[in-house]
Amino acid sequence: MSYEGDYSPMLMPAFTRATGFQVEVQTLPWTAAHEKLLTAQAGDSLPDVFMLPDGWVGEFALIGALAPVIDAALLTGLFPGVSAATGPNGQPYAVPWSVAPQVQYYRRDLLERAGYAAPPEDWDSWRRMGQRLKARAPDNYAFLMLLNWWDTLFTFAGQTGARPLRERDTRGNFRDPHFRDALAFYVSLFRERLAPPALSTEVQDPVAAFAQGYFAVYPYGPTLTLDLHRRAAEIPPALWSTARMPGPQGPGRVSGIAASLCVSARSRRPAAAWSLVRHLTSSASELTYQRLIGTLPARAAAWDTPQLRQPALAAFAEQMRDPTREPMIVEWERIRIEVQLIAERVVRGQLGIDAALVAMDDRVDRLLAKRRALVEAGQLT
Amino acid sequence: MTRQERTAWGFVLPVLAIILFVFALPTLLALALSVTDYSIYALADWGALRFVGLGNFADLLTTPLFWRALGNTALFALLGVPMAIGTSLAAALLLHDASVRWKPLWRVLLFAPYVTSVVATAVVWRFLLNTRFGLLNRALDWVGVPPVDWLGDPHASIPAILLFVTWKIFGYNMIVFTAALSAVPHDLMEAARLDGASRWTRFRHVTLPAIGPTLLLAAVMSVAGFLQIFAEPYVMTLGGPAQSTTTVLYFMFDEGFKWWNLGQASAVAFILLLLILALTFVQARIGRRYEWL
Repeated sequence: MSYEGDYSPMLMPAFTRATGFQVEVQTLPWTAAHEKLLTAQAGDSLPDVFMLPDGWVGEFALIGALAPVIDAALLTGLFPGVSAATGPNGQPYAVPWSVAPQVQYYRRDLLERAGYAAPPEDWDSWRRMGQRLKARAPDNYAFLMLLNWWDTLFTFAGQTGARPLRERDTRGNFRDPHFRDALAFYVSLFRERLAPPALSTEVQDPVAAFAQGYFAVYPYGPTLTLDLHRRAAEIPPALWSTARMPGPQGPGRVSGIAASLCVSARSRRPAAAWSLVRHLTSSASELTYQRLIGTLPARAAAWDTPQLRQPALAAFAEQMRDPTREPMIVEWERIRIEVQLIAERVVRGQLGIDAALVAMDDRVDRLLAKRRALVEAGQLT
Repeated sequence: MTRQERTAWGFVLPVLAIILFVFALPTLLALALSVTDYSIYALADWGALRFVGLGNFADLLTTPLFWRALGNTALFALLGVPMAIGTSLAAALLLHDASVRWKPLWRVLLFAPYVTSVVATAVVWRFLLNTRFGLLNRALDWVGVPPVDWLGDPHASIPAILLFVTWKIFGYNMIVFTAALSAVPHDLMEAARLDGASRWTRFRHVTLPAIGPTLLLAAVMSVAGFLQIFAEPYVMTLGGPAQSTTTVLYFMFDEGFKWWNLGQASAVAFILLLLILALTFVQARIGRRYEWL
């Protein structure tokens, strides 16, 4: 998917040389990947090896699309904090490939002018920094948090220690005071006009906007480093850096989209498929990939090399030791999207915070109705 | 059966078979799906499939987003059909005027948007509609109107998409109307002019009755098209902001193909089918009253 898909043909020649297998690569856009892969499973046309974000592994394991990881050697030597995504039976179904915790990219020059060497680490000071940035440039914004993406809201929620679901993940738990804190903080950033209420479809070129100083802080994953390096003419490396996301009292667990490699349960060449997984998740391949597209290796050995000691990567390395643990259930992907939709309505002033929390629980309870019935009947754990 | 009849059946059967396989059969299967709770759990294990009767329909009626999607779709159709047909007719009338030169060139230029790719044109239009540096807001600024957040304001998003859709599709009906206009009897027009009928009276009493059947056809097709509007919101706004451009078909796509709740999605499809049938029936009745059919 995305850059991983676009660039993986470059990892194949080495594999073909070593094993003699030809590999055909197809790439999918993130926005359509979920439905395309589900349809592929229904139509029995999944590729032998494919990438999945960790959050989808439970779902694809449940529908019988994935072969379990039998070779334990594939799952050793992982970076601390990284673990294999499991299916409903607790068995590992995916080999971690790259890790993508969310960090904040910030404009060093803009922050310096507002009196900050680096962004503060707790929420209140972070917001105060936003207010100062906004006061200096009222037409611009301090933060960019796209309103149809759930990652920042769920990062804030993860840092408060909120548990979004309860009763064996069969009901929503969004009325929990921790989640309320996270939502209130998130919404306040828009209410104070520190962040533009914009969707991803409206900000067509975030890198250009970042270069122009339209916003000073952009929470994002590691792949943005590739875009920033590619367009160094617009935004020289000296102008930006990265830091961990702020938490209520300091940095904590954040959400991110870690990518894993899976093998289709109906692959006709399982041995070749697993050897491809072994090749792609080797620390040598992961380092090549880091150089090409900026994804962060899941193998601990890769992190011992000088390539990964750049200062801009330090924030990621620290953050990776502290991932959130998210419910591995089929509905989780949809729950996050729908909760974000309700949060968007709060930001736009269509709904109060408490009414929104009730609406989130109602909506999530409805989404989980089928799962609840199956869990109660003992067909699902 | 006579030989002639046999030949006729021979010609018709292949088409009938295709209609049966790609239309009637899927419709029946969808109806069957719509009374089950087919979801991703059923994809995993058929044992999880249950018969729920009209449960999906009852469920839909209590889903606020479904009602909003219906409302959004109605708004798209109510505003979009007059906008699209009006533009087509206006363009056709302009092109029909005897004083216009290079008619074929204009026709090609105005028809071109219809045959270009939705995705490519949507990218261009997203730039045109950009709040900060879009050409549309520049133009508004020029006449002293403050910038409009076209794709980010839940109240402006439907009009913004309609601008795009109208531009994209008006060329098709324009060509149809051009053909219809050339069939308006000349002698009637001349007679009306000699009797001193104004431009508007001639349009109302000579042109309009003559192109009535074409107008009805365009209306039926446009209503059906706007009720099924999907690609434009999908590529322009992803159904946002605040789900203000989520249409019935978008809702169905999300439920069915994104989340694999095919039971629920089939129920939506069925409701949409009934809606379109009902509206077409009403339009046909209106057409018959004016003797256009």
